[in-house]
Amino acid sequence: MKKRVVASLLTVAMVTSVMTGCGSSTETAESTETAESTETTENTEATADTGANVESVENADEITAMDESQLNGTTITFWHAMGGVNGEALDYLVNKFNEENEYGITVVSEYQGSYDDAINKLKSAQLGNMGADLVQVYDIGTRFMIDSGWIVPMQDLVDADGFDLSVIEPNIAAYYTVGDTLYSMPFNSSTPILYYNKDMFEAAGVEAAPTSFEEIKEVGDKLQSTGVEEVISLSIYGWFFEQFTCKQGLEYVNNGNGRDSYATAVSFDENGAALNILTAWKDLYDNGYAPNVGRGGDAGLADFSAGKSAMTLGSTASLKQILQDVNGKFEVGTAYFPTVVEGSEGGVSIGGGSLWALDNGDDVQKAATWKFVKFLVSAESQAYWNAQTGYFPVTTEAHTEQVFLDNIEQYPQFQTAIDQLHDSAPQYAGALISVFPEARAIVETEIENMLNNGVSPEDTVATLADQINASITEYNELNY
Amino acid sequence: MKSKVKKFSVEPYTYLIPSILIFSIFLFYPFFKTIYLSLYKTDKMGLPKKFVGLENYINLLTSKSFYNSLAVTLIFVAIVVVGSMVIGLAGAVLCNKAFPGIRIFSTAYALPMAIASSSAAMIFKIMLHPSVGILNKILGLNINWVADPKYALVCVALLTAWLNSGINFLYFSAGLSNIDETIYERASVDGASEFQKFTRLTLPGLSPIIFYTLVVDIIQAFQSFGQVKILTQGGPGESTNLIVYSIYRDAFFNFRFGSAAAQSVVLFIIIMALTLIMFKVEKKGVKY
Repeated sequence: MKKRVVASLLTVAMVTSVMTGCGSSTETAESTETAESTETTENTEATADTGANVESVENADEITAMDESQLNGTTITFWHAMGGVNGEALDYLVNKFNEENEYGITVVSEYQGSYDDAINKLKSAQLGNMGADLVQVYDIGTRFMIDSGWIVPMQDLVDADGFDLSVIEPNIAAYYTVGDTLYSMPFNSSTPILYYNKDMFEAAGVEAAPTSFEEIKEVGDKLQSTGVEEVISLSIYGWFFEQFTCKQGLEYVNNGNGRDSYATAVSFDENGAALNILTAWKDLYDNGYAPNVGRGGDAGLADFSAGKSAMTLGSTASLKQILQDVNGKFEVGTAYFPTVVEGSEGGVSIGGGSLWALDNGDDVQKAATWKFVKFLVSAESQAYWNAQTGYFPVTTEAHTEQVFLDNIEQYPQFQTAIDQLHDSAPQYAGALISVFPEARAIVETEIENMLNNGVSPEDTVATLADQINASITEYNELNY
Repeated sequence: MKSKVKKFSVEPYTYLIPSILIFSIFLFYPFFKTIYLSLYKTDKMGLPKKFVGLENYINLLTSKSFYNSLAVTLIFVAIVVVGSMVIGLAGAVLCNKAFPGIRIFSTAYALPMAIASSSAAMIFKIMLHPSVGILNKILGLNINWVADPKYALVCVALLTAWLNSGINFLYFSAGLSNIDETIYERASVDGASEFQKFTRLTLPGLSPIIFYTLVVDIIQAFQSFGQVKILTQGGPGESTNLIVYSIYRDAFFNFRFGSAAAQSVVLFIIIMALTLIMFKVEKKGVKY
């Protein structure tokens, strides 16, 4: 009898778990979807309405005309994607603004998780018109944000205030500028650089850091002869692929890299950019210079910090972390991001995030948002931000701040990053693609396939182009 | 006679309202919405934009990537289910005897159920790291576990098996304590070896529990997500691209809810079919 009871209880439990089991699997695709359907029509209007920009330009006068006393008591919501040390630095800036601003504005900052999470939450929130006033969005979300119809171009706020944009690093501003309009305010920007182990280089008698993949091989031979087991820990990261394209001075997609108009197809297959990159990459891998260390921006850093690999590629924003991990075991050198083709003319583009003002139809909010943005990109804030996080100061004025000078003295390696950025040019600002997150993932997957399964670079380029073109075409068909 | 015919009464049905309400909101509505979405292509906001009928399904069933996901998922589920049941059962049998420190061992074996999959995955990520990870240090190997397609799936699967083993351990322990001790004594008198006792007495005695954990484990394994997201992101290549992860990518990364919904429906059909088959088999193999 007892067993009967146990058995029947189990059966009940089993049935319930089967049901919830199946339920949650179908639910995954669903959660952001609920309560959205009624808004369909409104939303498509907003998207189709490219005239939104014109409207907001008219608003610009109103913003200037407004009396600043109206700002008193305004609360604006700021969504960001900075966790950890960066999040703390940002909170410090927000608190500082709340305490010190003379207008009586209160900023509520809300951490929304990773960049992907933040933009996905924004998509859901905007459907219910309950989003923020200011949002931090990653570089590859730029095209999406421009097309979204939710935003006030930063240029409007800049013009209304008569703010001098020339203090913003031109090569950073170029990324977020489309057709002479600055759409969002750069805030946390970084570029990729080459990190190298100076002690290993000295032991091998190598004086200069390599500037191209060809030189990495030459240097690699010397390093290997002194017993270095891993020449470069090169992580499979879509951002690097984009940067190698910029360094060749070639375009990733058509229509002026997606800047004259939205892109309709990739161009890295026709202009040879991708083939150059993949051939050089596979060559390094096949000859044992660059083993597969995994996928993602920081996959190669641990090998370098542990003193296993002699070089690695990484973001400037990783400098602090690397120095901390190395902890004086060896001297860390920094150099320009290498090219895949020797002598190619191009530059690096930036990565990171920028600040987008959302159009909530309230001019007071907009004016308050601008005051906060202006505070965040001020020389003082940027110097602090740079020292705490390793992102660039986006304003050149920060270069004279004491905090900045102290920081560069302590970490002279950072100067490389600044020089590299100044040596680049606005025309290498990089591509804007609506399906960038997906394209980046496809690039990473196919590079992995190439290295692991011995697919030829030519075939890999063809697969890349096919897949990315298919998703661009589908996106354009459904959204423009 | 007439008094025997029950009158229709509203009252019993009102008791059903709370559960029906919850089920409707959290299960039925999303379920039908998913089917609806799977017939559409969605725009960048994930809203249905264009009715395409069965196109999403046709695309799926002609896509290599989807069959790869299916194959990977099946291998994954097999490793996870077998692994977690073996670990759970072994632990439970070992802890079924009374000896000093038994509580410490029981807790240790049950502990995985208290660990969130994502935090476990982060710990494993460090342990499996090729240059600083403890596994390579101990084994003296130089293998990049999660970046090599040969090992990545097995690593993720074994991690999941270990995570799921905790709850299995608990079920098996409960099941073992439910088996009458005297039958073992009688078997000893008859001269049965330990192995015979295990296969002839313990396993049949546990069969209802084994069946229950099997069904639950299979469903759970199909839905593993956090480990893949953190350890491999479906890579290298597509070697750990489990269906649930692929659904997540399509829905929340590519904002292609139509295709994601179609995959969800296919996954639902697979799990339902498996569950039905298992209930058929149960009638033969399980002794209550």
